[in-house]
Amino acid sequence: MWNLGAGVVWRAAYVRAVRSAFATVPFYRERWALDGREDPVVVPGRTGTNGGAAPLAEAVHKLVDLVPLAGGAPRPDPVRGLGRVLRTARTPVAGSLVVLLGPDDLRPPSDLPKGVRGCVANPDGPGASVLRELTAVLHRGHRVLVVGEDKAITAVTAALPDEHRVEAVPHRELDSLDNGPYGVLHDPVLGYLGALGNCGRWHLDWPHVYARPTAGGLAFTLLRQDSPRFVDVLPAGGVQGEIAPCPRHGTPVVLT
Amino acid sequence: MRFEFHDPRVDPAPAGWAEFFKAARLHPVWDYELLGLEAWGARNPQQVAVARDGGEVVAALSVLVCRPRLAPRFGPVPGRRSLRPFWAEVFLPWLSGYPGIVFVPDFPVGDRAALLREFERALRRHLGPGLLGVLYRAIDEEFAAHTAGLGRLVRPAQSTAVLENRFQSEEDWLKTLPSARRSGLRRRRRRIAEDPGLVVRGGPGRDDVDGAEVAALVRAHRERYGKLPLDTRTVPSAGFLHRFIRRPDVHTLTYADPGGRLLAVNTLLDHPDSPCMQHWAALPLEERGRGSGLYFDSYVRAVRFMTQRGAKELSAGRGMNELKEELGFLPRKLYAAAAPRPVLGR
Repeated sequence: MWNLGAGVVWRAAYVRAVRSAFATVPFYRERWALDGREDPVVVPGRTGTNGGAAPLAEAVHKLVDLVPLAGGAPRPDPVRGLGRVLRTARTPVAGSLVVLLGPDDLRPPSDLPKGVRGCVANPDGPGASVLRELTAVLHRGHRVLVVGEDKAITAVTAALPDEHRVEAVPHRELDSLDNGPYGVLHDPVLGYLGALGNCGRWHLDWPHVYARPTAGGLAFTLLRQDSPRFVDVLPAGGVQGEIAPCPRHGTPVVLT
Repeated sequence: MRFEFHDPRVDPAPAGWAEFFKAARLHPVWDYELLGLEAWGARNPQQVAVARDGGEVVAALSVLVCRPRLAPRFGPVPGRRSLRPFWAEVFLPWLSGYPGIVFVPDFPVGDRAALLREFERALRRHLGPGLLGVLYRAIDEEFAAHTAGLGRLVRPAQSTAVLENRFQSEEDWLKTLPSARRSGLRRRRRRIAEDPGLVVRGGPGRDDVDGAEVAALVRAHRERYGKLPLDTRTVPSAGFLHRFIRRPDVHTLTYADPGGRLLAVNTLLDHPDSPCMQHWAALPLEERGRGSGLYFDSYVRAVRFMTQRGAKELSAGRGMNELKEELGFLPRKLYAAAAPRPVLGR
């Protein structure tokens, strides 16, 4: 549901995130105090470069400064937001299994819809136990969604018998958005930012993620992550684009 | 006598600050630009008060404007006043053992108490009705006497450790230590020199050291030992340390493994009279994989620096006093004084 009121609330959440980051997070305090930022301006007369947006790589390098004064986890969560964007990308139903292909230290997704199970599997080829479970779920007639890089998804499908069909949900980074038909907008640091909707457009996970165009590229803000705090960071080295309302759904989509 | 208050975050440096900095032989942490950078990233940002006599700066004070810690936030931006009551601390964060007030050397000792009262009156006018009082931290005996008076409180505080330079070399210093400690230090020094898994580098203006890595180490180290009660300082950020350790008057000693992982770090503030050992941070013993010799080694290197520099003394700050005494450092008494609002300027 997107209307003028939702847009105002979304924008207000972003302004709150900016003010809170400036008041409590060392990285943004120093950057915006010395150089400045705009939209909103936090120190009168200082508007900064790229509207105050920082390259994501620089922010990650100073990860210790992204923890607010109140304390918090200094580790990014690459699985953040998967459950929400999957609803847009493939809509898992109760009984479905979500297989996330990633390194061993990846934590299984914790925000999947009720009744949907999730696990993490090796991207170079799932282990025997994962394959067994995957086959069992398919035998029961439930769906299996495999989320990861194209190469890793191919490895899973190659390991399964031909009659078993899994549903692929490939990762796409901001600089490699395509026409799908399926996919999720993922960043290894920020987590899941959006998904390709049934309208063929890349929808933002708008209640949790804010994005705005800057001279340095599209800047993203995680509205509900306490630590580490990411506000106006430029993923993928800065990718030019814009944020516009979807003609069919009205919610914000990413156009690159 | 006239007082001026400068917010180093936005105000230009006081006229004549460079000359005063040189004349009063200040430590690098008094650098005005550095004070501004530190104030932006502080919960309780400091202001610089300067006393002028006939246009010349004769004294300067670092005044922290402290608010009750209801929520962990940085101080309000300049120009925005908080309605909550606050107090002022004359204190220089991260220069342990030194007061937040400095004078030009020829300023008469007899006039200092009067200057202080005048400062309190000026501060009261400058900060307005929300000011609850002034706290002077880490002051010496003489200054404590200036702050004493009716309705004021002066109490002894934790002493600072100072090593007077009576030595020609590091070996001279070692000879003055008890034999067990002396042989222990020499053994550690030899082991560290022979350890192929340890890369030790030190020097001024280190541009090969990553401020983020130092900040992470300093933060983890301080969290491990817990927060001090009534600590109004803010742990330095990666951005601040990145600039700080690149200064030519800041010596940084790093212990790293061959892969470049930082095991321990020590910063030392260069000064012609009294170099000051500042931040020390290390990985826990189980993570760094070697004994506690690195901490002692940093003292050996600091004493070597002091003797080569020909300084009068080496300051090792506060805390771990018993251990520092074993290394020949002597405690120097410090006091804290509080002046509540009704007696300010009286």
